Amino acid sequence: MPTELEAVPPGGGPLRTRRHRAPATSARTRGDRDPSATAGATRDAALPDPGGPAGWSDVPGDAAGAGGAATAVARASDRGARIAAVAIALAWHTAIGLPAVLSAWSGLAAPVVVAAGWAVTAAVGVTAAVRLLRGATPPARALTAVLLVVDAAVFAAAGERYLFTAANWVWGGLAWFFLLVLWRRPVGWLLALLGAHAVIALGAVLGSGTTTPADLTRYAMYVYGTSSLPVAVFAGAAAIAALARDRAGTAAAAGAVAAERVAGERAREDRRARLALVSGTAEEVLTALATGDADPADPEVRRRCVLAAARLRRLIAESDDVPDPLLHELRAAADLAERNGLPIDLIAIGVPPELPVQVRRRLADPLTAALAGARGWARLTVVAGPDEVAVSLVTPDHEGPDATGPPAAADGAGPVEQRHERDGEIRWTQTRWRRT
Amino acid sequence: MDADPVAEDVTGAPPVGVAIVDDHPVVIDGVRAWLAAEPRLRVLATGDDPDVVLGAAPEAEVILLDLRLHGRMVIDKLAELSSAGRRVVVYSEHTDPDTMLAALDAGAVAFLAKHEGREHCVATVLAAASDRPYVPPALAGAMVGDPRPDRPTLSDKEREALLLWFQSMSKASVARRMQISEHTVKQYVDRARIKYTRAGRPAATKAALLARAIEDGLVRPEEIGIYRSHAATDRPTP
Repeated sequence: MPTELEAVPPGGGPLRTRRHRAPATSARTRGDRDPSATAGATRDAALPDPGGPAGWSDVPGDAAGAGGAATAVARASDRGARIAAVAIALAWHTAIGLPAVLSAWSGLAAPVVVAAGWAVTAAVGVTAAVRLLRGATPPARALTAVLLVVDAAVFAAAGERYLFTAANWVWGGLAWFFLLVLWRRPVGWLLALLGAHAVIALGAVLGSGTTTPADLTRYAMYVYGTSSLPVAVFAGAAAIAALARDRAGTAAAAGAVAAERVAGERAREDRRARLALVSGTAEEVLTALATGDADPADPEVRRRCVLAAARLRRLIAESDDVPDPLLHELRAAADLAERNGLPIDLIAIGVPPELPVQVRRRLADPLTAALAGARGWARLTVVAGPDEVAVSLVTPDHEGPDATGPPAAADGAGPVEQRHERDGEIRWTQTRWRRT
Repeated sequence: MDADPVAEDVTGAPPVGVAIVDDHPVVIDGVRAWLAAEPRLRVLATGDDPDVVLGAAPEAEVILLDLRLHGRMVIDKLAELSSAGRRVVVYSEHTDPDTMLAALDAGAVAFLAKHEGREHCVATVLAAASDRPYVPPALAGAMVGDPRPDRPTLSDKEREALLLWFQSMSKASVARRMQISEHTVKQYVDRARIKYTRAGRPAATKAALLARAIEDGLVRPEEIGIYRSHAATDRPTP
């Protein structure tokens, strides 16, 4: 008996006959707090194991392989960018900002304010860094407000003399902190914040009366010089992460296509094997009839014809490229019964929705059990819609005891109803699942 | 299996003329042999080209048409014959629901799966000759599993009767299961089929089925109005 394929949703498409199926893939968004992982709707592919002995097997490890590895690549590249940004901001702050403040201490208009601003910014930077390195994003609004207050305060406290020097550390160094607090936010937010930064700086420049064309030019140079690099790093990191996510998606999709190809190839091989079997038996009967060795009036010859015809019909009816797990189970049971010489028709209408394993079991098991006791012929039918699946087995009634499956019980995914009856003419086993 | 020929109103009347169109002589011979055992039917002409066969027997009342002739699906030919008022019973080994519903839409009076056997074949042809519906189990399955958004609206009982008939192929068993009479089972199944005369483009054969159903009291004209969809050019019901 085949084992279960745990996650093969039908893709939610409209129910048609079993011809065009969505790939055997489950596309689900990971419950990850990291927006860089959720934004790209990571795809996990549940692949049938091509090397399994009897059909499907449950291979979550391989399944996560294609999508999972690519997602890890995306996450690793983003993590690298985070570390770089944190290192730049904190190194700049301590190696350039702090010495400049200390060396210019006595000349600053309000050195304590400048130093306090430095300390507050360092705290903001550490907070943001911890969040970033843990894979989360910092609280952008609150930290941005803090940084803007520090910005304005330090510009005012630095004084005219140190306005354009490294002692006014906010001008050159604060942009890197903007980068940290706005990580993974739209680049427009960063540009807006840098704009506010430039306006504060302009206010300070104009307020200190340094309004000659040379001063304004210097101001423009400063704005450009301090903004361009952070923007480039920010946009670059975003682009690299997007690229990696894209590749992750492509890899998962390629995995899904490969999975479907393998499953399709498997189904075709099964079909070829059965065709070979059918052709053999049909040819035998036909040859015997043609040469006169077999008498059409002989019940045994007729039984062989019926069996071969039933097999051929079932082969013709199998139009699905990748069999649904429920149909796969029923088909395997039908194959088994047929090998014991029972002519059986299996007719499936519609595509079953994705069903939990227990529901599938309760739908299929009573039928396979009843099939074991079948005599003469059997008609196995599946009618499936998005909210209902009805499976039925009808065989001629006979004297033998009933072979009923396990009792049905209510289930979380909707109850499976089971009926078994015999009326002297037929034995009729029916299981039915309805979405509740 | 209880194929239920519509016997009562053809007794005493001349036999129904049947034309068989199939590109496999062995199938023609087989179907001819089936029908020959039924005195109420007479095969008038056979062949692999609908035009030639009907040219030879223009008076044929029912045409048994293989849906696949010389490797080609002849849905368009089916539609042409049906709109000309020819009662076509499609019989085919292509029993996927899409094909069966497409044949009904094109105006086929009935659809018979080739493996469904003699009783169903005779019953279908006899019913077709009197513009009455006959729904073999395979067609019932296609109707109950119809996934199209514009499918006719069937009542719960009609759906249940179709489903159980498809599953069991025994109207007696369906009747027992639903705790109604076999006659009522057949009524539910036939009513569902009549609702399908409103699916797809209009055809003279569909109008005839509908008219006969109203005449027989199977459906009431006001019931038909409920599921009127895109059949605006249909002949008004009598």
